[in-house]
Amino acid sequence: MDHMEYVLSILPFIASGLKLTAKIYIATLIFALPVGLLAAIGKVKGPKIITKILYLYTWIWRGTPLLLQLFFMFYGLPIIGIRLSPFAAATITYTLNSGAYLTEIFRGGIESIDKGQYEAAKALGMTYSQTMRRIIIPQTVRRVLPPTCSEAVNLVKETALLAVIGMPDLLRIATQIFTRDFNITPFIVAFVLYLIISSVLVRLFSTLEKKYSIYE
Amino acid sequence: MTMIRMSNIHKYFGKLHVLKGVSLEVNKGEIISIIGPSGSGKSTLLRCMNQLEKIDQGIVEIEGIVVEAAGDKEGKGVATPREVRTAYRKMGMVFQSFNLFPHMTALGNVIEAPMLVNKATKDDALKIAEKQLAKVGLLEKKDAFPSKLSGGQKQRVAIARALAMNPDIMLFDEPTSALDPELIGEVLSVIKNLAQEHMTMLIVTHEMGFAKEISDRVIFMDDGKILEDSNPIDFFDSPRHPRIKTFLEKML
Repeated sequence: MDHMEYVLSILPFIASGLKLTAKIYIATLIFALPVGLLAAIGKVKGPKIITKILYLYTWIWRGTPLLLQLFFMFYGLPIIGIRLSPFAAATITYTLNSGAYLTEIFRGGIESIDKGQYEAAKALGMTYSQTMRRIIIPQTVRRVLPPTCSEAVNLVKETALLAVIGMPDLLRIATQIFTRDFNITPFIVAFVLYLIISSVLVRLFSTLEKKYSIYE
Repeated sequence: MTMIRMSNIHKYFGKLHVLKGVSLEVNKGEIISIIGPSGSGKSTLLRCMNQLEKIDQGIVEIEGIVVEAAGDKEGKGVATPREVRTAYRKMGMVFQSFNLFPHMTALGNVIEAPMLVNKATKDDALKIAEKQLAKVGLLEKKDAFPSKLSGGQKQRVAIARALAMNPDIMLFDEPTSALDPELIGEVLSVIKNLAQEHMTMLIVTHEMGFAKEISDRVIFMDDGKILEDSNPIDFFDSPRHPRIKTFLEKML
């Protein structure tokens, strides 16, 4: 009973951490999905200069540690005079990082669609953008759901790096309570919460997969 | 009336010279079979008509509108982009591998282009689609996804999909080559029905009996050129060219 009371007493703090984690997570997804989709289309169909810039983008953001990218955003940008709020800096970093992975996922998905689909659409008089919107993207969505799910779950866990740069996310709050009370209970609570979020996401994606699989 | 006029068409795939100066006129209501060994440029010729392949030299006209001019005639006399788009819409195409949209039902496949391209209302598109599906004998399969259809049924849906755009000309690129033998008949009979309606058609095919029965003209292609262009009786019963004789002997 004592233990239960302790958990209840720390919940308000934990909740504030959870709220920050959720806010950054959702903001990242909202921005990273369109970034990934547009960059993927740019890589597939864009003019050479765009393709090159996008290649550079995914190369750098997928080829370096996320923690180091956060360090640059938080400690590097102020040196060259760019001051962002911690929330903005974190959201931008996570968006660009996740966007780079999603770009490659979506590009692979778009390129896996048979070229006969483009030809059939063209022979029916559809423009390129009509073809993408109505024929190619809907089929791509079905194919990229599994890897997108992995990326979405990864992102949940990667938000824990916020703790390292001092933002009061779920893990950092848990750590603070741990140092204050010298009790590992907050870690257990955080552990369970991360697990719940990941599981909900996996469930959500498998529902989507089922919905998009009706035609198979 | 000349529906398609191709003048001195050349096409390269990299270094490979696939079409070597092909000229062809297609008149309204004509049914033309294009036959020949594989790699002779039959499909490429068809695909150059509706811009699935860009030509490297020559002029393509559809119903009197210059839609493409390349090489030393680059851009010469080409109609406005809007006129060109309208001209291309007069051609429907059926592919060897069907290319149905797998994420849409049979009905969804057929209503898509009328709604998206011709801006038909959903009610109108449904009416057109149901009429066309009935015509190919698949109205009862309208809610089936392509994955649940046989090859022959898929190809008939693909034909209905092309017809829903109300084309003046139909291009068939080996429409039965991917089908099991017992399913070929149902597709050929749909094409025969179209022939009775005097649809202008170009058919790349390996079905010699069908070509002989249905065609007004048979074109034999070999090595990127048209070797023979004659009526089916002369073509099949008394082929002049030894190359054609050998080919027909192998096919029959």
